[in-house]
Amino acid sequence: MTAKPKIAVYKMSSCAGCQLEILNLEHVLLDVINAVDLSYFVMARRDSEPGPYQIGLVEGAVTCGEEIEKLKQARKECETLVALGSCACYGGLPSIKNWTPQRVVESRVYENPAAIHSTTAYGIDYYVAVDAYLKGCPINKEELVEFIKSALLGAKPYLRPHSVCVECKLYENVCVAVSEDIPCMGPVTTAGCGALCPANHKACDGCRGPADDTNAKSLAQTFKEHGLNPGDIKRKFHKFAGMTPEFDKGADIL
Amino acid sequence: MVIARNLEAMLQASSIAFLPKEKLNDFVGLLTEEFLLYGPVQKKTEFVFEKIENAAQLALDYHTTLLPPKKVLHQPFETLFSFSEGEGAVDDVSHVEEKQLLFGVHPCDVHAISILDEVYSHEYEDPYYMAKRRGTLVVALNCSTPGDDCFCSSLGTGPDLKDGYDLLLTDLGDNYLVETGSKAGQELVEMARLYSAPRVTLVEKEKRLSDARKKFKKRMITDGLHDLLEENFRHPVWEELMKKCLACGSCTMVCPTCFCYNVVDKIDLGLRSGKRQREWDSCMLLEYAQVAMGHNFRKDRDARIKQRLYHKLAYYEPQFGTLGCVGCGRCIHTCVKKIDITEIIGRIRGE
Ligand code: SF4
Ligand code: SF4
Ligand code: SF4
Ligand code: SF4
Ligand code: SF4
Repeated sequence: MTAKPKIAVYKMSSCAGCQLEILNLEHVLLDVINAVDLSYFVMARRDSEPGPYQIGLVEGAVTCGEEIEKLKQARKECETLVALGSCACYGGLPSIKNWTPQRVVESRVYENPAAIHSTTAYGIDYYVAVDAYLKGCPINKEELVEFIKSALLGAKPYLRPHSVCVECKLYENVCVAVSEDIPCMGPVTTAGCGALCPANHKACDGCRGPADDTNAKSLAQTFKEHGLNPGDIKRKFHKFAGMTPEFDKGADIL
Repeated sequence: MVIARNLEAMLQASSIAFLPKEKLNDFVGLLTEEFLLYGPVQKKTEFVFEKIENAAQLALDYHTTLLPPKKVLHQPFETLFSFSEGEGAVDDVSHVEEKQLLFGVHPCDVHAISILDEVYSHEYEDPYYMAKRRGTLVVALNCSTPGDDCFCSSLGTGPDLKDGYDLLLTDLGDNYLVETGSKAGQELVEMARLYSAPRVTLVEKEKRLSDARKKFKKRMITDGLHDLLEENFRHPVWEELMKKCLACGSCTMVCPTCFCYNVVDKIDLGLRSGKRQREWDSCMLLEYAQVAMGHNFRKDRDARIKQRLYHKLAYYEPQFGTLGCVGCGRCIHTCVKKIDITEIIGRIRGE
């Protein structure tokens, strides 16, 4: 029998919520461990096995020089490199800081900003080539499993490219936008979360970033017509994926 | 002309009966003994078709449901078969003919089911749909209060029904008028021992429906629709819609006549077994017309908007003999941008 494929999990600037989702795979975790070898996963095991690895899952945005080096190393030692979660895909929540001058942000958070060498927060593909994107804040566990299975089979994984609305309809949720006039990012956001927020009667917050053929400008226009002010609209589009040209267009409503 | 048509329908009606509203519970109870029953229930401010155990759950004064009752016959997700390594590898799971009954279906949705019947048996029979359809009875319900987005009266698909049902109910206040449309329907009436209604009741029915016909807020003129669309492939409205539309796909996901699906294999983690599943797909989505090597036949949003509209209003008829739109208004209601199929046609007509 051939050796089990080795997986490495790296962390950049992030809340570790996506890694936690790997551990939250309780119901299938043993099967996952049977199928793959989680060789490097600081959060879950004390000792690590050295690379090379078949699959590298990178969590977090890149926000400093050390992380760029770490990321380039990860690229070298992994056959397939995956952006795990919206921080790694687009900059995610850490990228909110990109819209305020660096020094203002730093002095708001740190007592002694002199020691901080923070750079603009980018998704990992700003620095290295990325083979796959698992979107979400946090990622969707089922999608991760789907990805691992497909990687093992050498097949293309089925990751939904279309809007959250599609899943909302498949599950027949009441649309918060149409039925309750709550501004919802679902029409421009990538599905794959099972329309989690609308299913729980909340508007989609756009955490999975732009869907295929995003028309953010038109949605922003509708937000405006329904009484949202330009600042709120900007914040909606900048929250998770403001660094993508697609969502930046929505933020550009003024 | 409408009157003449209805007189004819009156004379043809094979049998009519009364279902007093206070007997509805008993009637529904009787049906649940024989069938898996689906009917409209309230969900927050909207309505959905769901499995019903008793009449108290039903919301028969519903306006249009979020998804059409199509979802029972052509399910949003459906397992086609499961498979595993080794002997007896493939296991069909979906060919089961269940005895089920759709209760309280509006005329537009009954028409849509008739359209799907044709589509799914046209050239190649779809065994999954047809197995479920063969085991399904339809108890329809005429509409006395059309919804804000309804325009069936423009298409002859409502607010009253001529065929496609096993039983047809019309709300007459204290009673439902029950008309039978099939042998199976007749058996239900006999089983429930419903009293037959005098034929003059049909006049009362017609009065209520002609009142309903006056209440429509939307309309679509269908004369020469095919040629109109062929001639206006380059009309400026398409570019405006391209800028407006979010390509979210909602309009197609809720349409009772949309039949497209995608097929996806779900492999178990051991990689030795799994299932093949289909789920609803939509021509409004970018991935829909993408083929190998990434080429896409309908990359531009306006091409996809046109595909949806032209399929419903121009391409359907030559292939299946009817328009592909039944005027249910769901695509209008569901659209965050309020893109409205009736307004688009009106606009092209220069109304
Ligand atoms: S609730 Fe949001 S995601 Fe769901 S259908 Fe409405 S707009 Fe789309
Ligand atoms: S509904 Fe939107 S915000 Fe909620 S999990 Fe899905 S993509 Fe994220
Ligand atoms: S529902 Fe409206 S916005 Fe969404 S794809 Fe359809 S027409 Fe476009
Ligand atoms: S195109 Fe719109 S109005 Fe026509 S049947 Fe479909 S959802 Fe209903
Ligand atoms: S479109 Fe016509 S048949 Fe359908 S719900 Fe509205 S009034 Fe009834």
